[in-house]
Amino acid sequence: MDRLAGETGPLNVPDELFKRKRIILGELKERTLWFIKLRWWVPPSIAIGTALARWVGVEFEWGALLCLAGFILVYNFIFHLLSQKIRNEAGQKEQIERFTHWQVGFDYGTMFLLIHFTGGIASPFIFFFVFHITFSAIFLPRRSTYSFALIAAAGMGLIAAVEYLGWIPHHDLLFQGKAMDLGQQPFHRIVILGFFSGFVFITAITITAVMQMLERRILDLAELTEAVTTLNNKLNTLYTMTQAIGSKQHLEEVFSIACSELARAMGVQAISVKLLSEDGKFLQFASAHGLPGEILKHKVVEVAKSPLNRRVIEGEPFVTGHVTQGESFQFGEDLEAARLNSVQFVPLIAENRVIGILGAYSSHPEQFGPEDLNFFRQAAGLVAIAIENARAYEAVGNLIQERSRFMNRVAHNLKAPLTAMASMLEVIQNGYVGEVNEGLRQYLSRVDRRVCGMLLMIGELMTLAKSQSKERRVEYAPVDLETLADRVRQTFLEKASEKKLDFEVNVSMDFPQLNADQELMEEMLENLVSNAIKYTPEGGRVAMAIRHGENDAIRITVSDNGIGIPKDEISHLFSEFFRASNVKNVVGTGLGLAIVKEIVNQHRGQISVESEEGFGTTVTILFPVAQTEPSQSVVLATEEVSHPI
Amino acid sequence: MAVKAEILLVDDDPDFRDALQIILENHGFMVRTAGNRHQALEALNVKKPDLIILDVMMTTDTEGFDLAYEIKKEHGAGNLPIILLTSFLEKVRADGPGKFQHILGEEWPAKWMFEKPVDAKKLIAKIEGILNEE
Repeated sequence: MDRLAGETGPLNVPDELFKRKRIILGELKERTLWFIKLRWWVPPSIAIGTALARWVGVEFEWGALLCLAGFILVYNFIFHLLSQKIRNEAGQKEQIERFTHWQVGFDYGTMFLLIHFTGGIASPFIFFFVFHITFSAIFLPRRSTYSFALIAAAGMGLIAAVEYLGWIPHHDLLFQGKAMDLGQQPFHRIVILGFFSGFVFITAITITAVMQMLERRILDLAELTEAVTTLNNKLNTLYTMTQAIGSKQHLEEVFSIACSELARAMGVQAISVKLLSEDGKFLQFASAHGLPGEILKHKVVEVAKSPLNRRVIEGEPFVTGHVTQGESFQFGEDLEAARLNSVQFVPLIAENRVIGILGAYSSHPEQFGPEDLNFFRQAAGLVAIAIENARAYEAVGNLIQERSRFMNRVAHNLKAPLTAMASMLEVIQNGYVGEVNEGLRQYLSRVDRRVCGMLLMIGELMTLAKSQSKERRVEYAPVDLETLADRVRQTFLEKASEKKLDFEVNVSMDFPQLNADQELMEEMLENLVSNAIKYTPEGGRVAMAIRHGENDAIRITVSDNGIGIPKDEISHLFSEFFRASNVKNVVGTGLGLAIVKEIVNQHRGQISVESEEGFGTTVTILFPVAQTEPSQSVVLATEEVSHPI
Repeated sequence: MAVKAEILLVDDDPDFRDALQIILENHGFMVRTAGNRHQALEALNVKKPDLIILDVMMTTDTEGFDLAYEIKKEHGAGNLPIILLTSFLEKVRADGPGKFQHILGEEWPAKWMFEKPVDAKKLIAKIEGILNEE
């Protein structure tokens, strides 16, 4: 078993070499294409040079030069066409090198001809060989560079020799009737040839030497860039995981994002999350990304039978680069079968307690280095937080459900005797069981009022419990606010006229469609109007208005000129059972506004209250109109958690 | 006061049952009562009433519904009007069609549901309305 202590290098040599080749190859490809671009300038330059030389009076074989310029144009065009193919293909090194060699070959042939027609060894063109030698020194193997230098020197020697021997005609450059040839004498020729050869070889040697150094630097830089990219990738992964923890409450979702992100960032085949059972005796796969089915079949691992897992649970990470079927691996053969050679396990620690194990699996032997381990530990920290987070959410959710069930039970048990009481009171009040005198009647009606008040309160408690539990799903549908407002008006018309209130309902027709739960909207409006009527003295005014608000919102206001709410109590208004200090004589439960607030929250709206004691209250509700149906479970759960009571 | 019609009142709360019986009788109905399923079926066997008032939630959530089903399907009283009484009208309405459709079939008697605590005037108006329709 290999315990990692930094003795194995994190570099994978064949991979590294391949990477270097790839970088150089990319550069070579680009420069080869650049060479073709440069060559387009050669024929016009020859033409202009020829014209200029003729103009100053130099005599030479200008016709042949122009033909050669045309020839360059033709073969460069062919190379250009071929280069398009190379550009689009993921070319092999050999292919691109061959392409470059062909270009150099044609260039050399043309150069030798140019030199021949412009004075042979004395031609000023001989210095142009330096371009190719420089280029090949930079991008091609050293062997190619020296071959090019050798061909240049040998070619020039050959031209000098055959011209001297008269095997081919010598073309002079003539200026004012005199030949510009320095190489008429064999000695001159040898000297020039010698210097030329020295020139090309020195160029080749110096540039290849410098290039070797530069190449190392380029590779270092490329390596650094890759390291930075990898680091950036890893940071991104941690960030994505943090985001997932913040925005997703379902553990499966967080695991799935965390596992796939980690596998990507670390370049491994598989990531797994195993969770420890409450009693610490079993480990169970909670999530796995990329692991084969055979391994997942053993979903439960007995900790006592797995020394490896036990060690990780005790807090020690485990890393190996060669999975063998040793005593440590319970399912070593499965890992081997899946060709997973390296594994890395770190404990998931939350609040100083190990709650599971995070694992990474790779097909490369010796995949994990100290840096990987560090990163993996950080990731494990985040995964542990996600687990704690999700468990906390679950606990809160269960608590809310439990409370809701409890409230239902309580409400039912409270309501049954009250219902019987109400009916029995009616029997007595109606005199069905005997004469009722006036004093008794008065007391009975007071009892009746208190019983009805209690029933009302239980009813509202039920509504609140229901709206906070997952039982009541918000059913989104387009709501006809006009009809709704009219219904609310009808409901309260009688009550308002009993109190001689000026009761107005205004609905402007210019607002866009609202998607909401019709029933909840009605309940919300009823609660608001009922409150306004309840707390406005006789002869007062109550108004409800629905119109198109700013920022494309639907604005609902319910205002009255009633008793108002003391300033310092407005903030408590939405708490359950809160009743303002100035409402002692009005029957109410203090639940109405809590219900309204809950409904507004469920629809992602905003509610605000303006009030002045003795002058009245205005409640304003804003609903965004571009309401798309939010994902139910998430929204409700969020509301439940962000407004705990 | 002439006897208008006979009503079978089924509810497990004796106090409520007695009170409602007195109220109904004082409005001229003849009322028999039953405190559970067994008594209700027995009463039905003795004589078929003109209308049944049935508490939805007796000891269990579905006891009232089950009994309504039994009366309708198995006791040859398919046309017998049944008013279902419940303390949680909204909840029963919301759950009802989905939860109990399989029991009661298409003719879900939702319009004959009545909320507890009972507003006697409204209940009597409803009973008279139903009986006049028949």
